[in-house]
Amino acid sequence: MDRATATRLLVARLTDEVVVSNLGQATRDLQRLGDRPLNCYTFGSMGQCSSIGLGIALARPDVRVVCLDGDGSLLMNLGSLCTIATLNPRNFALVIWDNEVHMTTGGQPTATAFRSSFAGLARGAGIEKVLEPRDEADLVRAYERILSEDGPFVVPVKIEKNQAEGRLERDVVGYARRFRQALAAVPAAR
Amino acid sequence: MADASWSKHMADVLRRNGLRLFATVPDYIVSQVLEHLWADPTCTVVTATREEEALGILSGAWLGGERGALLMQNSGLGNSVNTLGSLNVAAQLPVVLVVSHRGDLAEFNPAQVPVGQAAERILDSLGIRHLMPRSIADLEAQADGLVTLGYTQSLPVAFLLPAELTGGKLG
Repeated sequence: MDRATATRLLVARLTDEVVVSNLGQATRDLQRLGDRPLNCYTFGSMGQCSSIGLGIALARPDVRVVCLDGDGSLLMNLGSLCTIATLNPRNFALVIWDNEVHMTTGGQPTATAFRSSFAGLARGAGIEKVLEPRDEADLVRAYERILSEDGPFVVPVKIEKNQAEGRLERDVVGYARRFRQALAAVPAAR
Repeated sequence: MADASWSKHMADVLRRNGLRLFATVPDYIVSQVLEHLWADPTCTVVTATREEEALGILSGAWLGGERGALLMQNSGLGNSVNTLGSLNVAAQLPVVLVVSHRGDLAEFNPAQVPVGQAAERILDSLGIRHLMPRSIADLEAQADGLVTLGYTQSLPVAFLLPAELTGGKLG
């Protein structure tokens, strides 16, 4: 599966959900394929994508939050899986684009290229809803579940090793402000 | 001798400035503040595995409309440096840091000293305004002003809590 296709399939199903994207590849694909004010892009602080999403989910329990993380990044913050399991937010899903490499820095292998598995790590942390889509049809079914059922979900997705196309827009302050205003405009507690 | 009510004063500063979400990696000293917050049904306290993770959670919560604080030891401030810079300062996401200041007067653990001595300069280097109140009167005189400044600038601000205020940690 390639990340751009997997991103497009998600974007096509979004309404008023928040999407938080990991620095580098995930953010570049999401900007190019589905820029919208309820996207929360990250540009630095590698590893914090899932934690930022968790904070949004805590502050707005009425809004569904989907994080698009990367394997190298989540490996920097594995404790996040334990905190997600402990707090157990039902409006939260963590999708992990797992290409088994640090793509942005030249394709150096990560631990998932060898023995480690995010599904196993997530279950060990105490996450009950772990989905492992193997093809596009599986992925679509996973999206339908995370966008309708109670979570938290962790969804590791094995993807091809390719660089995102296009140029990353880096208006860090502007995107954060746009996102905060857009989320504030989503009416509270329906 | 430190007045044990310092921790309630600190908790009240945070609450009266509209903070309701608190993240922490526990520490003997800041846990005295957390006791008041755990007991308050209007407040949420989240225990994180590392301080960077806590900053991620609090930054997300700010983007979702919630004010929050990170309560930690100054070793946690050392862990936090890149996230404070690349997330909170770069994207202008305010957060209040409440840091127990180890590694200064009466410190018994050599491992606490280097980062404790560096704490103020770490904050200065990142352009993060900070206070080190030496007494409850000192805390009460300046605390609301510091929190107000943080949200005015949309940047982190820090309370460094010295042993003169808190009584420190006995070896």
